[in-house]
This record gives sequence, C-alpha cells and structure tokens, in this order.
Amino acid sequence: MQNFWKALRASSILGAIGAVTVLLFGGWSSAVMGWLLGTAAGYTNSHDGLWPKPKIGAQMGAKTGLILGIWLAVASLVEGLIVRPLSGQTAISFPQALQYGLLGLVMAVVWSTVMSTIQSLTDPVQRRRMTWLLMALFLVVFPMVDQRAATGWIATVIQILIFAMLALGLNITVGYAGLLDLGYAAFFAIGAYTTGMLSSPHLGIEWNFWIVIWIAAAVAAIAGLVLGSPTLPLRGDYLAIVTLGFGEIVPIVFRNLTAIRIVEPISGLFATLLNRPELAICLVGCEEPLNLTNGEAGINPIGRPSLPFLGTFRSDNYLPWYYLVLLLVVFSVFMINRLRVSRLGRAWTAIREDELAASAMGINRVNVKLLAFAMGATFAGFAGAFYASYITAIFPSVFDFSVSVIILCMVILGGLGNMAGVLLGCVIIMGADRLFLPQLAQVLKGFLNTTVLPNIANPALRDFLAISFDPIQMRLFLFGLVLVVMMIVRPEGLVPSARRKAELRSEDPVVNESLADVRSV
Amino acid sequence: MKPWQKIVLYLAIVYFVLLLGPIAGLDLPRILKEIAQSPSLLITQLLVGLINGAIIAIIALGYTLVYGIIELINFAHGDLYMLGGFAALTVVGAFGMQDGAPFISAIIPMLVALLVAAGMCAGLNVLTERYAYRPLRNAPRLAPLISAIGMSFIFQNLGLFWGGLRSFIPIMGNTAAAPKSFPDLLPRIDIFRSLGIDTKVDFTTKDLIVLVVAVVLMVSLNWFVQNTSAGKAMRAVAQNRDAAKIVGLDVDRVIVLTFLIGGALAGAAGLLVGLYNNTIVFTMGFTAGLRAFTAAVLGGIGNITGAMLGGVLIGLLSALSDQYLSSRWTDAWVFGVLVLILVFRPSGLLGENLQEKV
Repeated sequence: MQNFWKALRASSILGAIGAVTVLLFGGWSSAVMGWLLGTAAGYTNSHDGLWPKPKIGAQMGAKTGLILGIWLAVASLVEGLIVRPLSGQTAISFPQALQYGLLGLVMAVVWSTVMSTIQSLTDPVQRRRMTWLLMALFLVVFPMVDQRAATGWIATVIQILIFAMLALGLNITVGYAGLLDLGYAAFFAIGAYTTGMLSSPHLGIEWNFWIVIWIAAAVAAIAGLVLGSPTLPLRGDYLAIVTLGFGEIVPIVFRNLTAIRIVEPISGLFATLLNRPELAICLVGCEEPLNLTNGEAGINPIGRPSLPFLGTFRSDNYLPWYYLVLLLVVFSVFMINRLRVSRLGRAWTAIREDELAASAMGINRVNVKLLAFAMGATFAGFAGAFYASYITAIFPSVFDFSVSVIILCMVILGGLGNMAGVLLGCVIIMGADRLFLPQLAQVLKGFLNTTVLPNIANPALRDFLAISFDPIQMRLFLFGLVLVVMMIVRPEGLVPSARRKAELRSEDPVVNESLADVRSV
Repeated sequence: MKPWQKIVLYLAIVYFVLLLGPIAGLDLPRILKEIAQSPSLLITQLLVGLINGAIIAIIALGYTLVYGIIELINFAHGDLYMLGGFAALTVVGAFGMQDGAPFISAIIPMLVALLVAAGMCAGLNVLTERYAYRPLRNAPRLAPLISAIGMSFIFQNLGLFWGGLRSFIPIMGNTAAAPKSFPDLLPRIDIFRSLGIDTKVDFTTKDLIVLVVAVVLMVSLNWFVQNTSAGKAMRAVAQNRDAAKIVGLDVDRVIVLTFLIGGALAGAAGLLVGLYNNTIVFTMGFTAGLRAFTAAVLGGIGNITGAMLGGVLIGLLSALSDQYLSSRWTDAWVFGVLVLILVFRPSGLLGENLQEKV
C-alpha cells in the first residue's frame, strides 16, 4: 500500500508536468510526453531493482503509467475542447481529442511498464546495459518521433544540448573544483568568435568546421588559462567577482574590436616627437584599420559543417545538427566522467573541500586550479563553435552576464558536481525558457485577446493586461527565484552528489571558515 | 625576483600597454595633445567625474556597510538603486512635474520622491535580508552570494515590469524596456559665470545641488556610524559578531539596521542619478552596481571612508575615460581596474590587510 502511494506521488508530479505541457502544446505532444514521462516514471518508481522480480516491476510500472496516462488524457481533452476555443484557436472534435489523449495514455503505460521491467531485472549488469540501450535508443529516435508527432521541439532540443555542454563544462569549474565562475559566457563567446573569425568570409578565412571546432576549443582552453591565472590567489566571493569582471570585459572587447591599428610604440614616440609620421612602424591595420569582429552587427555568415554523402548541413534540416550536437554532448559526458575519477578529478575535489590541506598533501594548487578553468573552458569552446556554425551569425550581445547566470542556474538547480543532475537542470531550465515560456506567452495572449480583454471596460486595465502580462518578460524573475529558493530550500540541488550534499549541509564551522577568507597564502 | 628582473618586467608591461593600449583608446600622445589644447575641458570632466563619483560612492557605501557586517557581496544592491530611481520617477510623475518646471514648485515633489525612494529601498532591502539572506547566515559563503545574484535578477525584472506600467504611470513612456526620461527639475545657473569669473568650465547649480546632497548624505552617515550608539553597535558587530553577541547586542537588529541604511542610501542615489543624468533604465543597476562595488573594493571593502574615496576615483576614471580614451571602452577599463585591484591588493587603498584564517 505504501508503495502504491509512493507510485501515485511520483507519477503525479510527472503527470502534472506532462499535463501542463499537453495543455500548452496540444496535439500529439500527449504521445511524446507519454513516451518520455512514462519512461521517467518507470525509472523513478522502480530504479535499480526496487522490486524483486521483473513481473512485479511490470505490474508496478503499468500502474504508474496508468496514473500518468490519465493525467495526460484528461489534459488532452481539456486542451482540445476548452483551452483551444478560449485562447482563440479552432476547437477540435471530441473523438480527435480523445484519440490524442488515448495515445498518450497507451504510450505512458507501455513505456512505464517496459522501463519498470528493465529496472527490475535481477541481474544488475543486464539491468544497467538495458537501461543504457533504451536511453540511447530514445536519443537516437527522438527526431523521428518529434517529426511524426509534429511537435516541432527539435530546434529547442538542439539549443538545450548546446547549453548542456556549457553546463557540463561549468560544472567542472564550479562543481568539481569549487571555483565560482560568474563569467563563463566569456569562454562560450571566445569559442564562438574563434569559429566566426576562422570560417567566415568576413576576414576571408574560411576553414573547415571540423578543424575549426578543435581550434576553438583550444583557444578557449588557453583563454581559460590566461583568465584563470590572475584569480589563483583569490578565494570565494572575490574570485567570483574577478571572473564576473572578465565575463563583462570579453563581450566589450568583441564589441569594440572594429578598428584596430597597432603602431610600434617606440617608433611612434619618435615620429610624434620629430613630427615625422612616416617614422612610425605600423604593425596591423596599416592601410585601413582592421575590423576584426564587426562590432554590434556581428559576424555573418559563418561556415557550416559538411560531411561526405550528407553535403553541407542546412538550416532547415535539423537532423544532422541534432546528431552532431548529441555526439558532442555524449563525448563531453564521457570525457568529463573520465576526468572526474582521474587523479586530476580527485585533486579538484580535494582543493574544493580544503585547499590548505590539499596543498599540504602535495597537490599543486596552481596547476590543478588552472586546469579546472581550462577544462571547463574547453567544453564551452566546443559549444561556442557548434553554436556559431548552427546559428551562422554571432553578436556580442548574446554572451552577456545573464547567460553566465542561466548556466550557473542549471548547475545549481540540478546539483553541483553531479552530471546527471546538471543535465536534468539544463533540460528543466532551457525547456522552461525556450519551450514553455514562449508557448505559454502565445496561449495566454490568445486567451487574453479572445476571452478576457473584450470583457474589460476599464481602458487602463486593458492596456496593462495587454502589455504587461507577458511570461517572456518574467524570465529573469523566474531565474532569480530559482536561485534564491534553491539556495534556501535545497542548496545541494535536485539530484545532489552525496559528497557535495555533505559539504553544503555541514554545520561544522571549520568548513565555513575555510571558505570565509579572501586570500590564501 | 632580482631588482633588474623586476625593472625589465615592468618595462615589458609598459611596452605592451603602449602597444595594445591604443586599441582601447589609450593613445598617450593624442591624449596629451587634447589636454594641452583645452585644459578647461579636463576640469569640466573632472567635475563631472567628481559628481558621478559622489553618487557611485553613495551606492558603494551600501556595499561596504553590508560587507563589513556580514561579509556578503550584496549583489542586488545596484538593482535596488535602480528601483529607487523608478520610485522617484513615479513620485515626480505623480506630482505632474515636467521638464523645466519652476524650481520652487519642484522642491516638495523632490523631497517626497527622496522619502519614498529611500523608504521603499530600505524596506525592500530589509525584506531581502530577512527572507533571502538570513536563512543562509550559517551556510557556506557562496550560498548567500548566489542568493544575492538571484535577488538582483528579481529586482531587475521588477524594474522592467514597473517600466511597463504605462497605463497607470504615464511618465513611464510607451515601451517597458526603453530608457525613461527623468524630468529636468534642478535649475541650471552657471555659477562661475554668474559670479563674473570668465571661464570655459561648466559648473551649474544643478551640479552643486547634487554634489552637496551626496556629500551631506556621506558625512551624516559617517557621523552616525562614528558617534551614535547604534553606529557603535554596527562597528562592534562588524569587528566580531560573536563577541558582540556576548556583550548583549542584538546582532540581528544591527544587521537589519545596516540593510535599512544601505537601502535608504541606494534609494537616495536613485533619485540623484535621475535628477543628474535625466534618464533611467532598468538595466542601469547592474553596471552601476559593479562600478560601485569596484569603488568599494578600491577603497578597501568594509571601510566607509574608503568607499567614498573609491567612489570618487572610479567616477573620475570613468569620466576621463569617456572623454579621453573611448566611451565604448569605459566599462572594460573600470572592470580592468577591479580585476587589477583584486589581484594585486585585495585589501584596497585604505583597508587593513586581511589575514589568512585557517
């Protein structure tokens, strides 16, 4: 009985998320949500052999899936029959809404059962292998499902994956090494601008994307070393502020590198003193000042990757982009996982927990910290390179402070130092930001225009509702709220790493004290 | 490092600054020429820098007070000042003030705006402390910092929302995110010329009023902290929170008082900046906050005199950079200074050395 309540609770949380999605998107999104959330529900309800036998697991999974499916089916009906007409869209017929809902229900039950059965396999090796296989299958077939269901989420999913790479990289610096980096977008910008400069007709250099992406990652890593080195003696919040300063300076630099002319200073001094300008030795931008980044207008167009058989990637065909970024994310996860358990990864944990003790044990703090910055920056470089060639245009305004904070939000929400958590945080925040809020804005706008506004007589109130009731404008508010609430309620994140949780929950004043000083020896 | 190595290192740094500086506007021959051509422009810029610096100093005081007491970089402080500007604009708009309204009729609206802005910001700051920072008092240092960043985002969004209330506050203009024009209420009588001194330096009564108000605020704060018992309690808590508790001080109340004063100063700064620059925008808090924080760090964070000095220096730096380097690079220069100070002298100009605690 207790198990039943647990199942009900878990699947109801997921069910509510699914129901909201279906209410907003409608159509076959119920089936996609049934598919995704059904699997998730199956996993959360019976993960890692909670039930003794696959048969019991299957039964539990079916129950969970049923609860979830009912949420989805009800939401489908409500969306089709009530929300649509109220928000000014054409209503759909009852059988059609029922069809959407029932498919969602079936998907939820089937996949929850499958996942639950897999999770209840008695052999742990087999269990793990099957889980991975299922997840891999999901990621691979997602674009096809998305296409069949006409939900059109693939573009957003690509963006989510780009940010997943960023969040994984920041997780190295903040989560593993404990260095709060508030200017992480700078490395993203550096990767993107490197790609932009090396593969765009703007400077006349058009190298192949497959080479440029490695150069971008390398440049970002070097930038990580360069920007990281002055911060070495600093700790805690001073470190955060210095990285924030760098994060502000880098976009300003990219914005303003539009007219570069470098004159060798000593010869320039003589030229001024003797009043003979021809003496000055000009190094860069002699005939006309070099326009390196094209300022606010940005670099455009940037070369796209191409492959044999597939040809150059096109902007209207998302599939190759999706698989490329998926490959990059999988590669990042693999690399970071290896890094984490390596000697370097353990050194990061050590300096995070107590820097002095770690250095007393013979860890070279300078190298370890610099490598944390550099490795974190590397993945931002990959993400930047992919981003630049995916969007094919980059502007300095894309890389401002709010991007750094959004990435930080993902890492904190998911759980500092835990990759699964970070990926979850990324999906939640980016999904909310890029998928839900725009759709919510659209539905609300339709709702206001058709249902609310005609019934309001007061013109001031009407004007207020029409312009101020915009969820997209509330983005910053929501991010801020997530940060504050998470810090107070659950500083270790949704899926905490056990070690990090112990640190953050510690009441031991010594731990706090070691974070409290500003400057080490 | 041997002395000659140091000299070579410094020469190399100077060489690189001279080599790459011109990209960011640091072109010494041109700057010297410009200064030689019109010295009065330099003095005008110094005055502008002084006044902006005084406003920055008021914001920096909020940072420094809070940091001195609970060692928290109150990231939301800059955005609080922005909200102060919006509150002041709302009040001034409610009185129907417009550009060029007679000074006499504008005095009362401005005083009310000062009270409302300062009161609102003080209240908000206290609420923030109560609900966003106090629960994290004993958490690791980064937790309240992240919470403060979150509050900064929330305040910024509130500013955006406030700016969109055109249906209730007409003075906000049509677009929520656009800069709002603040009515020009202070008289602009050129002081030097009306005194009969013939000079090209511009210094009007408007500049004087803003400067005087800023200085009065700073001096009275300094007096309050040095001479009243509440100020003494603040200093005691800043020095050693546990010891202050032992001698019977209500630490929570002292902290609330600190946030109250810091918030009120931020609100006053919001009004002053509106009156002086005649434009406010919801994103101004972030940049101003960073500048003020730089000022606080430059002067030695936790040190009240230091914050004032740092504010003036940063104001001068940005005014001179706007004029002689390049206004597009000013922020980069200011943040560059911030990074340099934190790296080379984190205790600031007037701060005492912070020792390693283990």
